[in-house]
Amino acid sequence: MIEAVGLRKRFRTRRGPVEAVAGIDFRVQAGEFVGYAGPNGAGKSTTVKIMSGILLPSGGRVVVDGLVPYRERKRLARRIGVVFGQRSQLWWDLPLRESFELIGHLYRIPAADRAARLDRLAEVLALGPLLAVPVRSLSLGQRMRAELAAAVLPAPRVLFLDEPTIGLDVEAKAAVRDFLRELNRVEGTTVILTTHDLDDIALLCSRLMIIDHGRLIYDGTIDDLHTAYGSTRMLVVDLADPAATLVPGPDWAGAEVVRAEGHRRWIRFAREEISAAQLVGLILADQQVLDLSIVEPDVEDVVRRIYRGEIPPERIG
Amino acid sequence: MAEALLVYLRLAAAAVRADSGKPLILVLRTVAAGLIVAVEVMALVLLLDRFGTIAGWRAPEVALLFGLAFASQGLALALGTRLEADHLSLLVRRGTFDQVLTRPVSPLGWLVASYVDARYLGRLLAGVGAVVWAADRAGVTWTAGRVALVALSVVCAAAVVFAVLLIAAAFTFVSVQGSEAGSMLVYGGTYLASYPMQIYGSGLRLVFVWVVPVALAIYVPALVVLGRQGPPGLPAWLAWLTAPVCAAFLAVGGLAWRGGVRHYVGAGS
Repeated sequence: MIEAVGLRKRFRTRRGPVEAVAGIDFRVQAGEFVGYAGPNGAGKSTTVKIMSGILLPSGGRVVVDGLVPYRERKRLARRIGVVFGQRSQLWWDLPLRESFELIGHLYRIPAADRAARLDRLAEVLALGPLLAVPVRSLSLGQRMRAELAAAVLPAPRVLFLDEPTIGLDVEAKAAVRDFLRELNRVEGTTVILTTHDLDDIALLCSRLMIIDHGRLIYDGTIDDLHTAYGSTRMLVVDLADPAATLVPGPDWAGAEVVRAEGHRRWIRFAREEISAAQLVGLILADQQVLDLSIVEPDVEDVVRRIYRGEIPPERIG
Repeated sequence: MAEALLVYLRLAAAAVRADSGKPLILVLRTVAAGLIVAVEVMALVLLLDRFGTIAGWRAPEVALLFGLAFASQGLALALGTRLEADHLSLLVRRGTFDQVLTRPVSPLGWLVASYVDARYLGRLLAGVGAVVWAADRAGVTWTAGRVALVALSVVCAAAVVFAVLLIAAAFTFVSVQGSEAGSMLVYGGTYLASYPMQIYGSGLRLVFVWVVPVALAIYVPALVVLGRQGPPGLPAWLAWLTAPVCAAFLAVGGLAWRGGVRHYVGAGS
């Protein structure tokens, strides 16, 4: 669906040329849900703007759904949806319904199709009561749902999202994420999600690409990210005997008790060394356990360590 | 083609509806824009009544040039005011233009259709009013040919001003900041073209006829309407060249715009 080879973009600034995208390669299959992360100024938005035909690359090439974006911008525009979280694509002073009607005309969607699709989107995104409200009067959460509906009304094959959950409360974030997950699953829409919110990525994306200083420093699954960067999981157990001590044996494969408080013990372990089932088995053989849970590693934590350079940027995948 | 045009008309209608929340303000703005033209023409006439003529042109004759200049400037700005540096650089910096580029439409068509400015239509109407009034005072008898010539003059001069806006917009895309040079030509150029060409040196005349052909669009057709002969090197028959030369200049503006969009850098990374 998307193929980038040696993609580059150089900007001229007062302080000399800046290479915002310094030669990146990737290939995205149809139906993939890709998270695209990186610190501010890493080149995320620039890449998205090149893929959506807004910017002309300085070098390399990119093909989106068989089209070269900057050369066939208008044709491509009919097949992609773009949502920039901090900007609106809706008609600010008009009732929301009119934005959808105008988009229907812009994308030449037959009126009957538009009405049917809008009904469905309005139901899923709970927009029904908002259709008569001018866009400027919508809350941020309401507006973002409306932006998503507007972007997918023409049934795009690829959806580019730039910070779609920025500034939203927990409930609104959940609504946006549910919608995107369903869209990807049911319609097979390819989604490229640029975000700072790594929860978005952890909850939605099958694949993560991390860019820094214009280069792709990671491209793979989130599981592989943990393996590659040695992130750890946490087993939390409540022991029947609060005075009991857990002594890590040789079978524990490096797992260690990092905290003890009353009945509760926190045990950190590396997934590639020992599985949660094995570790639980070892503990159960030794202790009576009231309850247990496993805390998955925080993607944010791993990514933050990568950004800070604590983990050498070794590309895998 | 017709379908595409319909889309732009719908966009324009939406822009008007978005504005129609405040119809009174809209009317007042339009009237005010017209009044400015009336005051300027009145000032000119009062001035000339006192001091006689400019290069042999009487007050109503110069007022006719004023009317043509205002009308064409109003028409061009009604369509293209968003191309002016301060507006366009704002659209670029806010990222609005990024979004326009993700639509399956021509970005120029979008900008024109989405921001039709009624105030400048006030200037257009007042300019046409000034032409009618001035022609009457100058003793012009209206024939179909003269009416056509006035229409041609307004449309061609508007095309020249619009082309200047396009060229300025191309610079705005490249620099993001935008420069005031374009506005200087839009306002200053039409202002200079509101006076008989005899008062300018040959260099300036050459520029206004062949480089930025505002004089070819305003002064030359006015010569024919008023039944006057032009100065040496600027005969009335040049009116035949008005349409093709202005069309060529508009084409240059279109090319500049395309180049600008191609090199559009956007706001930030």
